[in-house]
Amino acid sequence: MASSTCLRRFSQLSLDRATQPAFAPRSLLAATQASCFSTSAARHANPTGKKGMGAAPKRGTKTLNVKKGRKDTVKDLSKKPSPGDRKAMRKRIVLSNNNALEVPGLKDLEKDNALDPSNEGKVMGLAENVVDALRAVEAFKPSQGWSLFRRPATLMRKETIQVAQLLKEAEEAPEGQAKKTLRRILTGQRMSGKSTLILQGLAMGVLRDWVVIHLPEGQDLVNAHTEYAPLPGSQPTQYTQDLYTANLLSQIIKANEKILASININTNPSLPFPLPANSNLKQLADLGIINPEASWPVFAALWKELTQPGRPPIMLGLDGLSHVMGESQYMSAEVKRIHAFDLTIVRHFIDHLSGKVALPNGGLVLAATTKSNSPTSPALDFSIQVAEARQNKASDLPQWNPYANVDQRAMEALKDIEVLKVGGMSKEEARSIMEYYAASGMLRAKVDEGFVTEKWSLAGMGNIGELERASVRLRV
Amino acid sequence: MPPRLNLLSFSRQIPYRPKPQTQWRIQPAVRIAPAQCRAYVDAKDPAPADRSKRVDAKPLDTVSDEARATSEVMGETGPETEQGTPVEDVVKGDKEAQAKLPKVMQDKLKANSSGSGPKGTRSYSTASTPTTGADPYPDMGLLTFNPDPVAPDVPGVKFGLPSLPLPKGSHLKYRYDDIVDQVTNLLMRHGRKSVAQRNMSLILQHLRTSPIPTINPARPLLPGAPPPSHLPLNPILYLTLAIDSVAPLLRIRSQRGAAGGGVALQIPVPLGQRQRRRTSVEWILGNASKRRTMGSGKGGFAQRIAQELIACVEGKSSAWERRNAIHKLGVAARANIVMPRRR
Repeated sequence: MASSTCLRRFSQLSLDRATQPAFAPRSLLAATQASCFSTSAARHANPTGKKGMGAAPKRGTKTLNVKKGRKDTVKDLSKKPSPGDRKAMRKRIVLSNNNALEVPGLKDLEKDNALDPSNEGKVMGLAENVVDALRAVEAFKPSQGWSLFRRPATLMRKETIQVAQLLKEAEEAPEGQAKKTLRRILTGQRMSGKSTLILQGLAMGVLRDWVVIHLPEGQDLVNAHTEYAPLPGSQPTQYTQDLYTANLLSQIIKANEKILASININTNPSLPFPLPANSNLKQLADLGIINPEASWPVFAALWKELTQPGRPPIMLGLDGLSHVMGESQYMSAEVKRIHAFDLTIVRHFIDHLSGKVALPNGGLVLAATTKSNSPTSPALDFSIQVAEARQNKASDLPQWNPYANVDQRAMEALKDIEVLKVGGMSKEEARSIMEYYAASGMLRAKVDEGFVTEKWSLAGMGNIGELERASVRLRV
Repeated sequence: MPPRLNLLSFSRQIPYRPKPQTQWRIQPAVRIAPAQCRAYVDAKDPAPADRSKRVDAKPLDTVSDEARATSEVMGETGPETEQGTPVEDVVKGDKEAQAKLPKVMQDKLKANSSGSGPKGTRSYSTASTPTTGADPYPDMGLLTFNPDPVAPDVPGVKFGLPSLPLPKGSHLKYRYDDIVDQVTNLLMRHGRKSVAQRNMSLILQHLRTSPIPTINPARPLLPGAPPPSHLPLNPILYLTLAIDSVAPLLRIRSQRGAAGGGVALQIPVPLGQRQRRRTSVEWILGNASKRRTMGSGKGGFAQRIAQELIACVEGKSSAWERRNAIHKLGVAARANIVMPRRR
């Protein structure tokens, strides 16, 4: 041991004996921290205990003045955005870019050619009424690249044609058989176009005169940002989300105005307010918007009307499925989390997704998973795995680890679901969309074999979001 | 030690021809010492120290080996000695132990447990996206990538010579536009280049979607600039034009003691292209940071910069005043330039 250390230890020993009380310290960390042979503490002690009592600095010496810069900053006197404006700006959906060029020869999707398999690999425009309906049901998302082009247009991919086939299947029932209710979960990698595929499905539904109902974000249903109330007479207790339901009703009206206005009420719904005689479904839904507290009974009555024989098929959509596959943020009266399936809207959707309730007039239930904002849902992940194995006719289905925790209700609901996997584009599809980019003036390059192959490979074998980012978004 | 045979001590010359093989022996510079490292538990051969024949002189086994031997005798499964147990497996399911892991491992655990994939923002995907049809041999994008069928004319060149000039972006380090690269680096804060690249992309997107600028004739852009209606369709040109138009031609260097009387002598110094761009980008960034963000979220700064760039092109930015002030000062101070006299 060095001599200085030795000395120090020795002095500490004496210090310890002097300072420590007779009883043992409660913690080892509480041992004294005083350094030995130091007079600095005593010298720096301020006997008065007041600050700023020292002598003024000598003239000419530099002092540290941290307030120095404050004088120069100019206060911004411009008008602040009013409350809510910032969020509105962030969530704003722009669907046109006046600088982009009009694409010559861009055909619109129409009622006749909407479900045509020969559309595969073509970019098709969306007509104005379709865009209005899709905007009403909030099918467009701010992160998608609609704001770069003259008007909304979509690429009819292989998966889109598959969805079109589903619509066709639901519309055309064989003689003497009930119309089909088809159910699909859309899965795929991040930015592979799941939400856009739902949008395309909704667009085809609008064109084919279906009733289109879309829950744009699963998270909004369960994050307890809207008010809720127990549904009277429900056992076990269910909960209604009145404002959300009223808003949903208004979206349904905006998207399906013509159809709802053309259907008169057949049944005699029991509602807390009187209905005018010979009213149509639009008037019924309007009453639900005016009286949000009765919005759920109105929705139920509307649904009952729509499922009467002879009514149009229904398209039900939900984006962000994994949010509703567990407990919501709402609390019950016992201060326990309410399961998402106990919320009436979610339950309504899940009943149709799981096949518990069929749509008598035919229809399609689409639910998209999300990869960028999704809570973990082991039940959903496992169900998707099983469904994929079943579709690939695998001999051994994956087995659930019986010791792992699982949301049994979600597992039960997703027991026999089918998935539609949204994969990468083929190179022909990539070429088609890149030619559209170039024709819009957003991609300044010669679209040839080598260029398409390069971008297609950079995009992870044709992931459309990555392709858009690499080619039009100028993302270095 | 003196050499045994001293050639210089002989009085007459002796024909001495050394044998070639003894003259210079190549020897390795570093001698390889015999290995003296300690063996790990799972090393196949025993440690070099363990050469003794006597049982009592042999070193003891490691603790794990001993435990294994004991458990073998007892008929139990002892600790695994063939392979180390990863820490992740040890702390699996143990919330308390997981909380005490280092941050890196905690992050890794968290990333593994949440089902969502990686959240990076790179412009290319490292994950391959298989197409929906289950193709056993997916085309990785290389099959159609046939190289140019040019026979190697030049002898000694295996793959032929590239055609010059090389296409733009073919150099790995200079594949992007140089002004985009420079502005990206100037946007970067705290070394977060990916964020800067995202901002750059948002700026260009904003330029592309904003209405056609109206040019102020009092503030002319660079000569030869395209008409303003062409600008939004070519956002990189828009950016270049905005930056180059307000870029000053010179800076003022204050030379101390050259004027006498404690006054610094102001000498105009010409700037190179990169320096000019840097100066103007710094003015633009300064002005942009004084603007108020009207929205919220990630794109606010990018939007302000884009607005400032548009203001530059339209002649509304205060960067123009700074540029003019510097030029005016430069003109006034041009007498201070001392050119080296030619002889």
